[in-house]
Amino acid sequence: MSRYVIIGASAAGLGAAEVIRPRDPKSSVTLISDEAYRPYSRPLLTYLLSGEVQPEKVWLRAPDYFQKWGLETILGDKVVQVDAGAREVRLASGRVAPYDGLLIASGARPRLPGIPGEDLPMVFTLRTLADWRRLDACLPEAGVVTVVGAGAVGLKAAEALTRRGLTVNLLEMGPHPLPQLLDPFSARLLQDALAGWGIRLHCHTRPLAVIADRGRVRGLALDDNREIPTDAVIFAVGVEPNVEFLAGAGLTESGGVVVDDYLQTADPLIYAAGDCVFPHHLLTGRRGAYQIWPAAVEQGRIAGANLTGARVRYRGLLPQNSISLRDFHLITGGLGPQETGDCEVSEELDEARGQYRRLAFKQGRLVGVTLVGDIGDAGIYFAIMANHLPVDQLAADPRAFPPETVEHIQALIKWGKKPVRVIETPVYEYA
Amino acid sequence: MNTVIVRPERCVGCLQCRLACAVEHSRTKSLAAAIHEDLRPRPRLRVYPGRQRLAFPSKCRHCAPAPCQQVCIAGAIYRDEDRGAVDIDPHRCINCAMCAMACPFGVLTYAPLFQAPEKRAVALKCDQCPAREQVGRVPACVEACKVGALTYGQWQAAQDAKGRAVAQAFFASLPSAEETTAFLPLSIRRWRQLG
Repeated sequence: MSRYVIIGASAAGLGAAEVIRPRDPKSSVTLISDEAYRPYSRPLLTYLLSGEVQPEKVWLRAPDYFQKWGLETILGDKVVQVDAGAREVRLASGRVAPYDGLLIASGARPRLPGIPGEDLPMVFTLRTLADWRRLDACLPEAGVVTVVGAGAVGLKAAEALTRRGLTVNLLEMGPHPLPQLLDPFSARLLQDALAGWGIRLHCHTRPLAVIADRGRVRGLALDDNREIPTDAVIFAVGVEPNVEFLAGAGLTESGGVVVDDYLQTADPLIYAAGDCVFPHHLLTGRRGAYQIWPAAVEQGRIAGANLTGARVRYRGLLPQNSISLRDFHLITGGLGPQETGDCEVSEELDEARGQYRRLAFKQGRLVGVTLVGDIGDAGIYFAIMANHLPVDQLAADPRAFPPETVEHIQALIKWGKKPVRVIETPVYEYA
Repeated sequence: MNTVIVRPERCVGCLQCRLACAVEHSRTKSLAAAIHEDLRPRPRLRVYPGRQRLAFPSKCRHCAPAPCQQVCIAGAIYRDEDRGAVDIDPHRCINCAMCAMACPFGVLTYAPLFQAPEKRAVALKCDQCPAREQVGRVPACVEACKVGALTYGQWQAAQDAKGRAVAQAFFASLPSAEETTAFLPLSIRRWRQLG
């Protein structure tokens, strides 16, 4: 009888457990988490903040989930060391969990920028349920909140706070929100939406210090010599993998667990999946920190299968992000605008409907997608990208403009207008 | 599990299935009343131009395992174990569009739904008409399809039937036994022609 131990009970850990259980019904599967409750959805925390989701709906699995699946759990206990020689996981309470197969799915935790005052009481991050409880309890005292970092979490947190009637500042180091993902056109659509909800966006700025008055946060000093008054600060400037317990094991490099194409580490009994891993990009093959939920689930399922003797190759991670704020929907995938310099790019902007589509092609293959507004077909684009399909053999070549658009461009040329980028897209909705 | 089987080569693009689907997913379930509802019901399958610009009906395949279910961060997408269909709980859906990224068939749409009036929009897709299935009726789109492009049955059976049809078509295209004649030297053929 094999003993499988999974460190972490979120997306990747659950994905693995649910594959291991049917593949090896006689085995024992133990999930270890430092959080003392059943699995919940981290991406939902910002929705809790806005009140769109009630706290009882944050749980991802039923209360009897672990019993039903026959999974053992060690909850509320922290892993302090993985002893690969003795095949044991040591926990903070002194407990020891021996394993025959180990999955590291320990995830990541929010990074802090390392500035003075970030340990003050009204300074927050938002990653765990405990973070949310603290933030939710303290928010009634605040009138102005500053969110540092306009990434996926920062944007959603800022939007959620405006729903609670708070004044929100949003700081971003780059030239626009999501600088890695957006081109200037989609960034402008997003910025218009943010301004419409009353979010004060400050780009090209970094905080230098949290200013406090007798232990209470009073403001934030910025690198352009400004000081913005604020009652609370939320840092959403990225995450770093939880890998301290692997110190000295030789399994990590530059802060993440190193895995091969089969998600196996240097130790053949140890696999890793999820945010603690730096997986390779499906299109470029470069390793990087992506930390996205669907990839964690997929990696967990593959690592789980491989732990039980399968040999499934992980094809790589196709970066994909969905930003949904009220009526604004944005999906990006594949290569970002900085990486598509040598690509054939087709951009269509329909300002009246608030829709935008940007497709990047390289050697007849789709390599990057940005969709704003009409996002229902995102999965088709992603499937085309992930399978490297030649676009000229698809049912409709996405590079070819529909005939109506061609006429429109010709009309624009006739009128002496420059027909670049701004195109009225015809509607193929037979509603 | 019975499922809706799509035969795109038969589809004529009449969009009756979309109308029937919208009516089935309305509050009143009657066309005359449905068009006056506050939240206009939306169809959950699409017909759009496919190869050679022929109509292509596309709907949820109820995959197992379902990619949309795996990525749903709200836990709203679940598989109805009794029916085998993948369905969405509108009260849990947060309209985050993760499922749109996961679905390789692009079957998800986002619109308000009368079951969850407090939500701005929720993810919608084929639920294989549970109310009809309970009383032994076929899904609304199948009932509406006049050309046999949408049928209801076991997909394995449909695959077998399609395989047999392809095989028969292949053998039918070969020269038939009557036409095939053994090779005879020219002298013997001439001699036979003399009769």
